[in-house]
Amino acid sequence: MNKNIFEAGIKSSFFIAAVSSILIVLFIILFLFKEGYVSFENIGIINFLFGKEWIPTGYPPRFGALPLIVGTLLVTAGAAAISIPLGIGSAIFTSEIASYRVKRFLKPMIELLSGIPSVVYGFFGLIVLTDWIRIVFNRPTGESWLAGSILLGIMALPTIVTVVEDSISSVPKEYREASLALGANKWQTIKEVILPASLSGITAAIILGIGRAIGETMAVMMVTGNSAIIPSPITNIFSPIRTITGTLGIEMGEVGVGSIHYHALFGLAVILFVIVLSINMISHLLIKKNICIRNIMLNKNIKNTIHVILFVFILWILVSFFGIYGIIVFVIGVFYHLFGYKISAKIKQRAAFIIISLSVIVVLFVLCVILYYIVFNGMRAISWEFLTQPLKDAGRAGGIYPAIIGTLYLVGGAIFVAMPLGVGASIYLSEYTKKSRIKSIIKAGIDSLNGTPSIVFGLFGFAFFVLYLKIGISLIAGQLILAFLILPTIIKTSEEALKNVPQTIREASLALGATKWQTIRKSVLPSAIPGVITGVILGMGRAAGETAPIMFTATVFSQRYIPSSIFQPVMALPYHLFVLATSIPGGTKNAYGTALVLLIIVMLLYGVATLIREHYRKKIRW
Amino acid sequence: MKNIIIDVKKLNLWYENNHVLKDISIEIRENRVTTLIGPSGCGKSTLLRTFNRMNDIIDGCKIEGNVIYEEKNIYNKSINVVELRRKIGMVFQKPNPFPKSIYENVAYGPRIHGIRSKDELDKIVERSLKRAALWNEVKDRLNESAMEISGGQQQRVCIARALAVEPKVLLMDEPASALDPIATAKIENLINDLKKQYTVIIVTHNMQQAARVGDYTGFMYLGKLIEFGKTKHIFENPEKELTKKYITGSFG
Repeated sequence: MNKNIFEAGIKSSFFIAAVSSILIVLFIILFLFKEGYVSFENIGIINFLFGKEWIPTGYPPRFGALPLIVGTLLVTAGAAAISIPLGIGSAIFTSEIASYRVKRFLKPMIELLSGIPSVVYGFFGLIVLTDWIRIVFNRPTGESWLAGSILLGIMALPTIVTVVEDSISSVPKEYREASLALGANKWQTIKEVILPASLSGITAAIILGIGRAIGETMAVMMVTGNSAIIPSPITNIFSPIRTITGTLGIEMGEVGVGSIHYHALFGLAVILFVIVLSINMISHLLIKKNICIRNIMLNKNIKNTIHVILFVFILWILVSFFGIYGIIVFVIGVFYHLFGYKISAKIKQRAAFIIISLSVIVVLFVLCVILYYIVFNGMRAISWEFLTQPLKDAGRAGGIYPAIIGTLYLVGGAIFVAMPLGVGASIYLSEYTKKSRIKSIIKAGIDSLNGTPSIVFGLFGFAFFVLYLKIGISLIAGQLILAFLILPTIIKTSEEALKNVPQTIREASLALGATKWQTIRKSVLPSAIPGVITGVILGMGRAAGETAPIMFTATVFSQRYIPSSIFQPVMALPYHLFVLATSIPGGTKNAYGTALVLLIIVMLLYGVATLIREHYRKKIRW
Repeated sequence: MKNIIIDVKKLNLWYENNHVLKDISIEIRENRVTTLIGPSGCGKSTLLRTFNRMNDIIDGCKIEGNVIYEEKNIYNKSINVVELRRKIGMVFQKPNPFPKSIYENVAYGPRIHGIRSKDELDKIVERSLKRAALWNEVKDRLNESAMEISGGQQQRVCIARALAVEPKVLLMDEPASALDPIATAKIENLINDLKKQYTVIIVTHNMQQAARVGDYTGFMYLGKLIEFGKTKHIFENPEKELTKKYITGSFG
């Protein structure tokens, strides 16, 4: 009897852990809508969505979100144009062309790209990329739509590469064999069989990548110039631009609570949230309804219509963005389409492989350039004093000791909250539920939390913890927000690890008369521990690099001492880097140092996670 | 006596350090059905895959010896593998149609090899499906997905797909093992028809099948070709003790 109560108690505590993540999502959504609704009511939804001017401090203030929405879409479209070809090319290279050894080298490189914190990207963009654009294209400033798109394109790359690669790898090897046995060469097999078979995965990858780009804040904010204007003409990629996320990042900190401006920012967050959420939902549908797209593509009429639309669109893009060069490319394309069959399969294969290899080379080059700038310049700033002393002269001199400690405090606190919740939720999901409505609701909640842009977390934390609960800007607010942010990462990796434990292990234990909890604790968890730890460390890496969620909730730029209570504000490396890079003239040297320290911390965490994963992957073979 | 179309001489094959095929010599006769039998892991599928160099795509595979086809060793450096596979087609154990329509599956090969005219493709598709004894069953739904027809029909789509590139030789790796008895019977009938125009080599687990469809049969064991001869001879009057034991079911 006692045993039963104990078991039930265990089960319900895991249930609570699992449900808490939906509650958090629900709460964030409710809060956003409640605060945002006021702005729709005051400004009028049409005026808000389609108003052409965003001047919140004018007389009278104007809140037209159109330039911001257009800015968001344009920056994202540009990012997609860069990251989709590079991402798909790199994925084809790693999964189909590269030898095993090259693949083992490339994969960590691309993962490295996803580990670089967004504020470090932003810093690189601000110091290096915008300068290049200014010089190469001979413009007054490089802070532009183009800069934002390039940076976001790089950031979306790892997502696209990983998902496309997964879906290419899941194409059965029988298809490859069948095609090769018919006398097709490797490229014909890739183009005619493998890519069409992984079409849904590729589509999902593109959408996920776009979702990642839309929600990004820090990098965009630092390089786009942030003028709330619609580029004129619309194809002027050198025009400065402002995104929704950028607006939230810039204006949230200095807004009066309860003002229309405050509510309008929440209105923007609602728009952003809706866009990102619908994007994620579409990608989930696409992954599930694999066959569905295939059948649509089988229909000749639909296929032809899609081709015509694409044709016109590409023509427009080529001509309006690249002028005479675009027309040349287009003419070559038409010629190829008409007479391409005369080129031998062997030459086509060679050309295709050259292009694909080039895309990998570009990606590696970008990675090397970023690392080179950060590491080389960072090394010169780092000294013993830099690591152990508080800052002097507004960060131009002195060290970053309080920021390092602050980041560790934030990460530690976030893990302290997120680990029990996340691991508990994953145990509930994998051990205590079968397919059911509750499970799918919980999973949907986790997915939405995962897709929520980090600036929305920041906004929520600021409005709820700092203002509504009156905790003020404090360590605890930052820790809690970061905990929410990394919860989905931890749940997903741990659940994956638990699922990989074979069912026979559970059955063997249960058949010996062990209770469910005994089985989990003694047999299942020990085998899943490496996976769970990996998830926790990945979460720590993410928490250490995030800026947007903590910049209104937890951090201050300058503080001589380490906080003595969780209700005091802290310094943190990402925020410190952001302020040094954007607001402190002459702070560049120490900004490089800060970026390098931050990068090292994040990379160490990811490195440890990878080592654990690889070590146990070799050791445990079911 | 029919012409020899493929002549294997002293063929040895290794996967890494694993010696899979040992000193195999075998003569395959034109327009006849040759079956390869033997217990699992004896190397019969590997041998089959050496005929169109499908082993090339496996890492760590090393081959010595000659496989003579059209007076040339197909492992010679000057041989164009793509061209070779076009002449020596293959049907796999599990039906593996592409996730495309039935029509697109059959037209895949000809398209790859440069045929663009719609009329010509239509003709090839019809002819190939007829040869694969599938035309009547699918002629009204050529644009439906090949993934949604039955396993036996899928396998015949795969056969039609292989025939569409007009090979000389058709390699079949246990083509009926994943099918039910009725579908199997259809495939076996088909094989009997095919030998009028093609040379067929079949790997099979099923000894009755080998006896039913084969003109020649080779028995393999532990990477060696133990005995090879007319099917009737192998099944009724084997020379080697090992073959006899296997045929009568004493092991394997």
